[in-house]
Amino acid sequence: MRVQQYAEDALTVTFGQDIDETINTQLVQLKEKFVELDFEGVLDIVISYTSLIIYFDVLRADVKAMKSALEEMKQEELSTTPSSYKVVEIPVCYGGKFGPDIKKFEKSGLSETDVIELHSNKEYLVYMLGFMPGFPYLGGLDKRLYKDRLDSPRTRIPAGSVGIGGQQTGMYPFTSPGGWNLLGRTPIPLYDKNRDHAILYEAGDRIVYKAIDEDEYYRLEQAYYDGAYEVKVIDRGEANDD
Amino acid sequence: MTIKITEPGLFTTVQDLGRRGYESYGFSPAGAMDYRSYCLANALVGNDFTKATIEMTFQGIQFTVLKKTTIATAGASMNLTVNNQPYRIGTIIDLDKGDQVVFGSVESGVRTYVAFTGGLDLPSELGSYATHTRSGIGGYKGRVLQSGDILKTIGGHADIPLLEVDEAIETHEVEEIRVILGQESERFNTEYQNLFKSSEYTVSKDTDRMGARLEGPAIKSDNGHDILSAPTQFGSIQIPKNGQPIILLADRQTAGGYTKIATVAKVDLPKIAQKQPGDKIRFKEISIESASALYKESLEQLQNKVDLVPSKDFEAVRRTDANSVSKLIGG
Repeated sequence: MRVQQYAEDALTVTFGQDIDETINTQLVQLKEKFVELDFEGVLDIVISYTSLIIYFDVLRADVKAMKSALEEMKQEELSTTPSSYKVVEIPVCYGGKFGPDIKKFEKSGLSETDVIELHSNKEYLVYMLGFMPGFPYLGGLDKRLYKDRLDSPRTRIPAGSVGIGGQQTGMYPFTSPGGWNLLGRTPIPLYDKNRDHAILYEAGDRIVYKAIDEDEYYRLEQAYYDGAYEVKVIDRGEANDD
Repeated sequence: MTIKITEPGLFTTVQDLGRRGYESYGFSPAGAMDYRSYCLANALVGNDFTKATIEMTFQGIQFTVLKKTTIATAGASMNLTVNNQPYRIGTIIDLDKGDQVVFGSVESGVRTYVAFTGGLDLPSELGSYATHTRSGIGGYKGRVLQSGDILKTIGGHADIPLLEVDEAIETHEVEEIRVILGQESERFNTEYQNLFKSSEYTVSKDTDRMGARLEGPAIKSDNGHDILSAPTQFGSIQIPKNGQPIILLADRQTAGGYTKIATVAKVDLPKIAQKQPGDKIRFKEISIESASALYKESLEQLQNKVDLVPSKDFEAVRRTDANSVSKLIGG
């Protein structure tokens, strides 16, 4: 574990070098412990695969005090089992016009139904968010679904698209160009500035995709718009006891 | 206090000091490219440094004043006329209904800021007015300003003293940019670290609010140029496979997968923000402690209005008399 400063307004804590579920769990624990200390002037705490960055207001924060507090938190003393996290259920209409690339898996002997079965109803760990607002870097994709990115990226991928890029699965909260293989789309806005949580998940949470058909897609889209649909979020762990 | 845009300029957005606190959700902070000029323009009209302000790029806006307002400008020197009468950047200007305000093109530098008393009256998004055009968030409808847009200002009761910005932006033929070595600098051997620090780099045409691409001696990494996606900072200098540095700027993605050799000291970000394609820069290493002290000093100077001086040349400013000034504020 290293605590370093590479910018005037940021402290970086680094754990290891690899994508590792345990490291993610420990980074989340470190964040929780640090938040409890309630340091003045902290603006944001950002978790990535192997590091945690604390951004602060240079005129208000005590950098030395924060640095020594972090150095006292030993990595080996951080639990390797998550204390609490959210499981967010995202309904997805697979295939058809929403998932034009799902048929590509036929070459490797996987029917559309096989792909849906392998991709949905399992918990993907959110390692970090980035690339675009709310874009989750997810771990846990079944090896049979690994698929290289498109040779030539699409100029427009609609918001809500769920896809696979190499060994990762994820979804696009905003319409953008992109090279991922598209499996389907969710009718739920992944970013909604008027919702209590504009983005529904953060690093350390889990995402589960639930297959829905096209009728259900349009029904949920309308229900969300009418304020009659709430995304299912399950709290796991200690948070339940509060 | 309302204006109607008649010419939108080349790339004009509403900015503040950026959307902080949402990088953990992948939101780029965006915000003013040149924090110093943003602050100076706001300080002139008596605003604090949270207000929605216009950032213009290379070619400025033109607007018609629909209701009385007071503006102040700072940043790149740009042609400016009000009803065909020229004014310089860095002053306070009172405007009356019907005035035609025409910002032209920059004479040097890139970005000029226009602040309004009380700031622009816009809804904030996730706690900020900063526009991030790539995700369509913040500012005015999440986009660049267009002809026909009508912007209201909040106004205020500040008794605005007659001040102006002390100095024009100093430029040098080869600008020295101070950097903090870091993050992945150990992936570059001494030879390449020295090459990076001793070479001249040219700002390329491929430069925008997201990043400045540089051209010059290629820097090679011993262990490849790709890393696991990791957080980036305003000023992070990435070295991709072709060895040509990219300085990440206000609209950067919050995580990136290229090695970072250094970070631009925050006090020198305004210099980068004002570099035109073809301008030359050179890097100089400083310690994180020096960089932090310089940045704090710069913020404190801005808060204390150290760089604002009483206007001496009354021909160069446009002020109605003191009486009408107090009347129009808040109007």
